[in-house]
This record gives sequence, structure tokens and C-alpha cells, in this order.
Amino acid sequence: MADVKLTNVKKQYDNGFVAVHDFNLEIKHEEFIVLVGPSGCGKSTTLRMIAGLEDITDGTIEIDGTVVNDMEPKDRDIAMVFQNYALYPHMSVYENIAFGLRLRKVPNKEIHKKVTEAAEILGITELLGRKPKQLSGGQRQRVAIGRAIVRVPKVFLMDEPLSNLDAKLRNQMRAEIILLREKIRTTFVYVTHDQTEAMTLGDRIVIMKDGYVMQVGTPQELFNHPANLFVAGFIGTPQMNFFDAELKKDRNGYTAKVEGLNVKVPKHIADALDKRESVPEKVLLGVRPENLILTDSGESIGASIKVTEMMGSEIHIHAELPDGKNVIIKVQIADLDDDQQNEMLTRHGIAFRIRERTINLFDPEDGRNLAVSDAAAVPTNE
Amino acid sequence: MADTTKKYASKSGRERTSRILIYVFLTALSIIWMIPFFYLICQAFRGESRSMVTYFFPKQWSLENFRILFRETEFGHWYLNTLIIALFNAVLQTVIVLCVAYALSRMRFKGRKLLMNLMLILGMFPGFLSMIATYFILKLIGLTSENSVPGLILVYAASSGMGYYIAKGFFDTIPKSLDEAARIDGASRSRVFFRIIMPMAKPIIIYTIMMAFIAPWGDFMYASLITFGHEKAYNVAVGLYKWLDKEHLSNYFTVFCAGGLFVSVPVTALFLGLQKYYVEGVTGGAVKG
Repeated sequence: MADVKLTNVKKQYDNGFVAVHDFNLEIKHEEFIVLVGPSGCGKSTTLRMIAGLEDITDGTIEIDGTVVNDMEPKDRDIAMVFQNYALYPHMSVYENIAFGLRLRKVPNKEIHKKVTEAAEILGITELLGRKPKQLSGGQRQRVAIGRAIVRVPKVFLMDEPLSNLDAKLRNQMRAEIILLREKIRTTFVYVTHDQTEAMTLGDRIVIMKDGYVMQVGTPQELFNHPANLFVAGFIGTPQMNFFDAELKKDRNGYTAKVEGLNVKVPKHIADALDKRESVPEKVLLGVRPENLILTDSGESIGASIKVTEMMGSEIHIHAELPDGKNVIIKVQIADLDDDQQNEMLTRHGIAFRIRERTINLFDPEDGRNLAVSDAAAVPTNE
Repeated sequence: MADTTKKYASKSGRERTSRILIYVFLTALSIIWMIPFFYLICQAFRGESRSMVTYFFPKQWSLENFRILFRETEFGHWYLNTLIIALFNAVLQTVIVLCVAYALSRMRFKGRKLLMNLMLILGMFPGFLSMIATYFILKLIGLTSENSVPGLILVYAASSGMGYYIAKGFFDTIPKSLDEAARIDGASRSRVFFRIIMPMAKPIIIYTIMMAFIAPWGDFMYASLITFGHEKAYNVAVGLYKWLDKEHLSNYFTVFCAGGLFVSVPVTALFLGLQKYYVEGVTGGAVKG
């Protein structure tokens, strides 16, 4: 059992810069948590505070119920994989993996057993005699992971472990991490700036910006119900579209008027709006590019096409509304034959409607999602 | 085609001429540099007279000067003194310099910048400014004259932390994540230093040892002041220099040269023995590269 609890954790550097503000999170046993955000958002700092490599300015970090604020990294029973691998260059792969066990005075026989086991899991058995400089990037990263898993730590920390690998290897290693996780059930905290890694690996994702937690939730929650404009824009490619909308209430519920088109607000949002003390009239309506549906009939919004990106199985259409606003539409073309696809690619104008069920409404003032009760405001750069 | 061949040929011809010129120049330079050393050897083995002469090659080769050196003078004492001081200092200074450099490279503490700047500025003042004060302090605790050997070791080792700069520069190039990985693996700071950093720091260890050995080996100023005329406590530099006095010169010049030859042996041996470690770096493969 190893759960990690961060309570009001704050990190302020000597020069006064606050890297992490009031971070609260309870990580459950065997949970895979991903910290994600743009560079400088404090995600690595948070991880390093859990590891004990950075002092904590304020708040507490508990591992397994014990406050570890002042505990040395070596006493926290954690393992960490670094972005740049950090292998000991003068030791063989075997010794690299065995180092932590040797320091813990594990008998040689057992070390041998554990190292061979770990090497087998990672498929690096034939590399055990080599020095790190004789390995490729992917192999080095495997050794670094081997060094971490061999001790069976309470918490497994990974700091952008894949970002030094090329795209193909990264996909492969990502899949391997998922498999690895099945084999060694332990608590994971994983830092990345890559939203794909976050979405595919995490049980829960923590999105951070400028040292603040923006939202904590499952990949699905984050994708479907982003807590604020930042999360909405950060998760998903291409980015979510935002429209200015006017919110009105009548007998049938709420309607949002977007570019002359009336969009019925779905029930879960309407219910949330009813619970609010006040509902703003002007809102931002967010809708993902795949939820704008091309249509030839009925009520729709017209736009002229500026750029069409052929992605293979889908097309990204960058279009301009009459008022000059840009909008991106993602169209699946797998069902279309070549002629239809060509027709699609050579169009000049389109009309689209909005898949009402999928919309999100945001407060234009502070960027909060109106339907998410405890949404964090988007920090403004002070 | 023919044109390009010609061009090529003329280019290589020009290259060869310039290379010959360079080698001639370098050979001439090295001969000039070697002359004093050859002169020293020749004088050391000269048998016919012990004073200065006006010719280069001895008329009679002999080992007489070496016999005098070890049988009739205190040179053996001086040599031993110097060796003890240099060896002790090599060990102490290397340990101190590496520890200071590592701490300044890795740890962040209040006053770190101030300390580094202060040491740098203090290092710019010539050491002999504090010589008189040092002498009186050592005298108070009884480490001058006949006890000069421990006194000198203390003087050399005490200020050695100021020479942290080059070693710190080297440690700065070793990625911090190596330390961090080892600390998470279960190593204490000192274990990280000895098990992870030291094996990678061979070139800088060798460099520090050489510097720490050579400096007291050839030191004259401090040694002459602190021994203060106590002949048995001299080091080689002070001892040999006394023979260049007017009263001694005519009797000891060739002996002086023989001593000089002996003095150069350990330094040369040290350099030849350690130079191969000096050039190789071992950080390859630690992190992405």
C-alpha cells in the first residue's frame, strides 16, 4: 500500500519566484497519475518535491501516511526515471540496475535474481554486460526503468521519460510503459508536456499552469468537461473552437445563440446553470472540431474555407466566418470514396451545425466552465 | 582534369614546404629549451673541478658529485623533507580541493556566491603578503625551524581550498541528475561523491594531485622563511639555493647541478606516469548525448 497525499504544497525559490501554489492532491494506491502542462507550469517541481530533490516551502507531502517533508530521498522508498536517463557511465548495465540494491545491502544472490528478472521484463538481458555509452537511446531508457523497478518502490516517479526519444520509439515505449504497469502494480506519478502521453497513460490527469492546478480528473472528464478555457484549449488537437454566444432562458430551458444559430443547451449544463446564483448573459461556447458537423440543409453557420489539411483518414478544415473569426472543423473521410474526398478538398465554402450534446459553456470573465462546480479560474499573468 | 591535378599537386607541395618550415622551427625551439637541461646533466657528471667553468662538456665524467651530495651534505635530509611535504600535501590538498569544489558545484547554501567570490579575490593577492603573519602564527604553535615539515604541510594544505575553481568547473559538467538518481537509489551525499562522482572525475583528480605535489616540491619562499636558517629542516629548493652563495659556489656548483637533477626526477616521473589519465574523459553515455 502506498498512497501519496499532497496538502497545500507550495514551492517558492530563493529569488521569490513561486513555482507551485497550494497544490492539493490525493493519489491512491496503484494509481497512475500524470502531471501535464506547458513548460514552466511547476509539474517537474512538484514531482521533485515528492522525490525529495527540492525542499518544500509550505504544506506537507505524505507517502503511505508518513509526512516526508524532511526525509532524505533515499529514505522515501521511491524510484525515479529521469528525462536524460542519468545512468552511471562507469558502471555496466548490470551494476547500474544493481546499485540501489547494493546500497541496501541485499545479498548478492538475490541481487542477481532481481536484476535478471528486471532485465527480462524490459528485454535487455543481452545488454547487461555493456556500458551505458554503448547503448541506444531507447535501450538507455529501458536500463533507467530497470534501475527503478528492481527495488519495487512504493512510488514510481517519471520525469518526462520519453521526451528524448524519437517519435516512433516514443510510441513504442509508451505502450511498453502501459504493459509494465500491468506487471508491477505500484503508484505512478508521471510528468509530461505531451497530452497524448497524458491521455493514454493516466488514470487521472493533473493539468497545471503557472504553478496552479487547473483540473484533476480522468482523461474522459478532462476531454469532455474541461474545467476552464485553459484545459479546454490544452487537451485535444486541433484545439477546441470558441464562439461568443448569448445565453437565454425560456420555458424549454436554455438556448445559446451563436452566429445567428440557436444552440439548445444540453440538460446536464442547464441543470448546473439552474443551481448557480447568477448566470451570465454573454458566454463563450466551446466545441471540439470533430463536433462541428457539415450540413447542406437546415439551420447552419456558413464559412469560407482558408486551408484544408489532409491527414489521411480525416480532414482538418480551417475556415473563416463572415465576421472574420477562425474555426477548425475535423471531418472523418474514411467512408468517402476518392471522388468525394477530392470534392471535399476542393470546396470553397461550407455550412456547419453544432453537435449540441458536446458543447461547453465558459464564463468569459474568468474562463471557468459554467457547468463545473469547483472549476479553477485561469491564472492571469501577473 | 590535368589542370585540377596540377593545382592539387602544387597545393600539396606548398603544404609540404610549410610543414617542413614548421618542423624546423619547432626543432630549433626545442633544442633551445633543452640546452639548460643538458648543461645541468653535463655539469652534474663533471669530475675535474667543482666550480663554474667556461666550457659545456666535461673533460672527465664521474659520479663524484653524487657521492658528495649524499655523503657530505644534508641533501638527503632536504630531499626527504620535500618528499614528505609534497606527498602529504598531494593527499590533503586533493581531498580538500575536490570536496570544496564538489560542495560548491552541487550544494546551494547561504553565502555560497559570496564565498566563491571572496576566495577568487583573495586568490588574486600574492601569497607572500601574509607570509610574515603566517610565520608568527606558526612560531606561536611551534611549527617553525626544526618543526618546519609539519608547519609547511599545514601552510600548503590550509589554503588549498581556494584552488577549487578548475575542479568545480569539471564537476559542473557532470549532470546533476546523476547525483539525484544515486540519492534516490539510496546513496548519501558522501556515497554519491565517492561511488558516482569520483570514478568519473579521474582526469581532474590526476590534475589536482599533480598540482598539489609540484607546488610544495618547488616552493622556495615559504620554505626559506619558515625553516629560518635551520639547515636540517630545509627543503631542496632552499638547501640548493644556499650553495649558490658566493662562499659556496666555487666548491658546490657541480654538486648543485647533481642535486638539481635529482629534484627533477619525481616530477618528471609523476607527469609521465599520470599523463595518460589526464586526457581521457569518462562521462560519455551518462545522459543523452
